[in-house]
Amino acid sequence: MIKKRISMIVEYFVLILSSAIALFPIFWTFTSATNKSIDVLAGRVLPGAKLFENLHNLLKAANVGQAMLNSSKYSILTTLGSVLICSIAGYAFEVYYTRAKNMLFNVLLLSMMIPFAATMIPLYTLFGKLDLLNTTLGFALPSLSTALLIFLFRQCAQSFPKSIIESARIDGASEIRIFFEFFMPINRHTFAAGITVAFMNNWNNYLWPLIIMQTPTSRTMPQLIANLTSGYVTDYGMLMLAVSISILPTLVVFLILQKNFIEGITGAVR
Amino acid sequence: MKRKLGLLLVITMVITMLNGCGSNTNTNANTDADASNKKEESKSNELTVWCWDKNFNIYAMNEAAKIYQKDHPDFKLNVVETAWDDVQTKLTTAVTSGQTDTLPDILLMQDNALAKNITNYPDTFVDLTNSGIDFSQFAQYKTALSTVNNKIYGVPFDSGTAVTALRTDILEKAGYTINDFKDITWSRFIEIGKDVLKKTGMPLLSSQAGSPDLVMMMLQSAGVWAFKDGKLSITDNPVLQKAVDTYVELVKSGVLIEVNNWDQYIATFNTGKVAGAMTGCWILASVQASDEQKGKWAVTNIPKLDGIDNATNYSSVGGSSWLVLSNSKNKDLAVDFLSKTFAGSTDLYNTILKTSSAIATWGPASTATNYGIAHEYFGGQKIFEDIIEYGKKVPKVSYGVYNYEARDAIGTAITKIISGTDKDSALKEAESTVKFQMGQ
Repeated sequence: MIKKRISMIVEYFVLILSSAIALFPIFWTFTSATNKSIDVLAGRVLPGAKLFENLHNLLKAANVGQAMLNSSKYSILTTLGSVLICSIAGYAFEVYYTRAKNMLFNVLLLSMMIPFAATMIPLYTLFGKLDLLNTTLGFALPSLSTALLIFLFRQCAQSFPKSIIESARIDGASEIRIFFEFFMPINRHTFAAGITVAFMNNWNNYLWPLIIMQTPTSRTMPQLIANLTSGYVTDYGMLMLAVSISILPTLVVFLILQKNFIEGITGAVR
Repeated sequence: MKRKLGLLLVITMVITMLNGCGSNTNTNANTDADASNKKEESKSNELTVWCWDKNFNIYAMNEAAKIYQKDHPDFKLNVVETAWDDVQTKLTTAVTSGQTDTLPDILLMQDNALAKNITNYPDTFVDLTNSGIDFSQFAQYKTALSTVNNKIYGVPFDSGTAVTALRTDILEKAGYTINDFKDITWSRFIEIGKDVLKKTGMPLLSSQAGSPDLVMMMLQSAGVWAFKDGKLSITDNPVLQKAVDTYVELVKSGVLIEVNNWDQYIATFNTGKVAGAMTGCWILASVQASDEQKGKWAVTNIPKLDGIDNATNYSSVGGSSWLVLSNSKNKDLAVDFLSKTFAGSTDLYNTILKTSSAIATWGPASTATNYGIAHEYFGGQKIFEDIIEYGKKVPKVSYGVYNYEARDAIGTAITKIISGTDKDSALKEAESTVKFQMGQ
């Protein structure tokens, strides 16, 4: 009994410690948003009373509302589009048989090894010729199909019972209906995980939005934060407030989908 | 029923999304078309500028526009805030992909990157040599940085003149004044530094580990760089050897402490962990962040290298210049704007000095009244006058196309030497790294 209790205490201690280590940077970011720049530099961890001053300075220095709106718009559109396209692709890779599908899938996985910086200039040239610079479509297109998400959904389709598909086909359900009415609701955890990962990646996307969206009114939050650090003097309190505001949407998406995300990633099948 | 509703919801989402993309595309396309129409309409009186730092460069540009508007009431300036790294990324992408119509009329460029960009993309920038701008009025070391093949491409802007800024209260505790640091050598600086450290426990300087800034500053103070006649000069460069030795001694003696990043570097003097800072004069804006240290700072020139011919107490770190883009539909307007403001207006420099401490490299600006102001934060010292004087004596060097590569390699070599690697082998490795990057 005592042995069990000790092991539980140790277990909780390790869990609390690792949680504290993981959460500390976020906590520090939030508290720094309430401190003066010089206090942030001095390493002050406790909350201060400068939140409103930092907010006032931030609103004066940058158009946060517009950047948040832009980031939200681009991230939501791209996330919905990519999850839909990649889930259909992953499902198709698993369910339909073609001779070349495994080879094609390997080629797709290989594309994960090519860094974006290598394809950026050809993509930019192409989009320029297609007149897609400064457009939402131009912004979203490169992120709509990602090897990682297709891989995630193919793995999920692998554990999806084929008997369900076959029964549905016998009952006369169309292929589209099988996907939307059976595959999608049953694998909602994987979809939640896909949405979380895609949203986070799209929200933090920096390089492509920077070059494709040329107008100041299309600036996203990561670009706004980069501009706040580009001067000779950086106001760290204000900067941390901008960072705190910027991580809120990702945090909200994660918290809402947290339970499903964990099950989706660990591959739980119900 | 629930499933049907779910299906309906998903389909609605997709349609909305695609519709959203389409309509947004159209809206944006229209906006762009409107913008380009506007650009056509207003092409004779509107300029777009890319630069960074709202309180410094952008502020200066907007003030310049106000001055230009006095004689050109229809003139409009559209400043797009773009961080320096982003300026470089966007410039490279646009030029390499041939989409130069996305570039602005004028952009600001870090002096360190001038030679590389001008040499790599010579047709992208306007040759300003015979533009009517009198470049002889600028500090010669600044115009030299944007001169490639005897053509001048940049209008110099803010000064990177090197300064030693020190806490007078700490020096006083150790029995020194700022004058003890004026016109001295590095060996004397280290000697005093050790004494200050012993008496007050405070190092004089700090630096980012792996940053070559101080060593490169020492090089320029002797009119030398990591390239000689366009060829890499690291292992056969006695001034570089001396500069590296000096830096290592600074670290090993404890007179200089190394920190991990820029934020920590700023924190060292803002929070009183070190008694000074030594780099380009633009650092003075960061020095002034602490109210408690008001009146306790003073500025002097930098030490000179011992035993090196042509060594001086003057150098430069950083700074930037304005470039006009060849693709601009308003090239003439852009050149005229720069010549009447950054290369022709004492009023402009007088205004921006007061608010943003942007120190000019344009000679006539030193006659502006604000340059003679006694600065309260620096104990009443007329720092701007002093810095202008230092700037006149900075030796000219040419940074070269592979400047960043050489700087990075030298930075890495310094880190290795401090960790115990033999100096010759570390510098040899640095040289072969840069040669590899140069394709030699």
